Amino acid sequence: MIFNTAEYFLFFLLPAAILCRLVAPKARPWIIITFGILFFVYFSYYYLGGIVGAFCIAIFIWESIFSRLYKPGSALCWIGVLQALLVLVIFKYWNFLTGLIFGSQNPLAWNGAFLPLGVSFFTFEFIHYAVDRYKGKAERGAFGEYMAFILFFPTMVAGPIKRFQDFTPKLANPSTNWALDWNRGWTRILCGLLKKFAVADLLTSFTDNLTAEKIPHAHRWILPVWLLAYGIKIYFDFSAYSDIAIGSARLFGIGVPENFDWPYIRRNIAEFWNHWHISLYRWLVDYVFIPLGGSRVAPPRILGNILITMLVSGIWHGAGINFLVWGLWHGCLLIIHRLWSTAHQTGKIKFQIPGFISWALTFIAVNAGWSFFCMDMATARLFWRHLFGYA
Amino acid sequence: MLKKLGEALEYLGGARDAAPAEFSLKLASAWWGLWWGALLAAIWVFSGQSSKFIYIDF
Repeated sequence: MIFNTAEYFLFFLLPAAILCRLVAPKARPWIIITFGILFFVYFSYYYLGGIVGAFCIAIFIWESIFSRLYKPGSALCWIGVLQALLVLVIFKYWNFLTGLIFGSQNPLAWNGAFLPLGVSFFTFEFIHYAVDRYKGKAERGAFGEYMAFILFFPTMVAGPIKRFQDFTPKLANPSTNWALDWNRGWTRILCGLLKKFAVADLLTSFTDNLTAEKIPHAHRWILPVWLLAYGIKIYFDFSAYSDIAIGSARLFGIGVPENFDWPYIRRNIAEFWNHWHISLYRWLVDYVFIPLGGSRVAPPRILGNILITMLVSGIWHGAGINFLVWGLWHGCLLIIHRLWSTAHQTGKIKFQIPGFISWALTFIAVNAGWSFFCMDMATARLFWRHLFGYA
Repeated sequence: MLKKLGEALEYLGGARDAAPAEFSLKLASAWWGLWWGALLAAIWVFSGQSSKFIYIDF
């Protein structure tokens, strides 16, 4: 959807990228804003939320206006953070949270609930700007610059999550090497599309079996294969998406952050997280882990901070207990890794795990964790029980 | 060896601007036309089974 549709390339990417390179520098943000608005309204209307979804463009307009009030040290920045969180809570977590309180007979259930296009990603960019303005780390920037930042459509829907202070210099002075940018940009887009169609979509025939109906009838030794297929699929799917987003931005002459750097060859879970969904992980470190005290507090609190950060990561990925458990799983893995590393550094443990074993343990742990990501808790429980012969 | 292979794949995939040393496919080369043709052909073969991107609903 969106990045694998002809209209994305014909009506949005090509005209916007060409116009952006041809117009005067002052007009560049307004080209991005115009196409960003059209992109959001068009794809929201046809894919997410219909006419109401399209009207969610008002969130961007309100944010653009309100963000003009931010000043270093101003409480208005925190109001900005709260309203970004409110948007996320209302659209993404309303039914989940009220369901936790009222159960299945939820009188406050929102039956027509929908997610505005890219809500999880654009709210994180809103929060980043508000916090960085509060701390004086980001300049105010012109109205058009900030609107172009939040409405830059190649990264609007699913990242990579940008930073205002990185984006604006590139917007003001984009690369002028058309030949290189278009060669690299189109190559990346084509490779992204191929990864999506030839690998991720092909694996759907395996991953579609991870349901409560099919798991009990499967031979238990096929279950790890299906789960592994999901691990490969989610990597190829999301890295393909990121390739297309980064390649699209490159056509404008604008570089955006990388999201993946061979995560599955990493030898420990900390390394894995430094190379998987990099822009999200860095956001979580900067706006959750460090404000909690990061690594500059007592050791037990560091472990608590790691756990809270990964729980936030989990619940951000989806409104469900299974996503919380997925975050908890990764939090525990990171804590074990930290304890192990500390014991090594202090000489309490001298034993070195061979590189291949270390890689295999990381790979298995990450892929086992996907069970809580792609299945609800009841199905994941069924999966593990059946795998170990208890069902 | 593996590092070189990774760099070559990144270059072929558009993620790296400069070709790794000893890699003969330079940017100006007409081989890119063939490479893009092959990619387009493969995309055409595999497209049509469209499922949505996993992260879009997030």
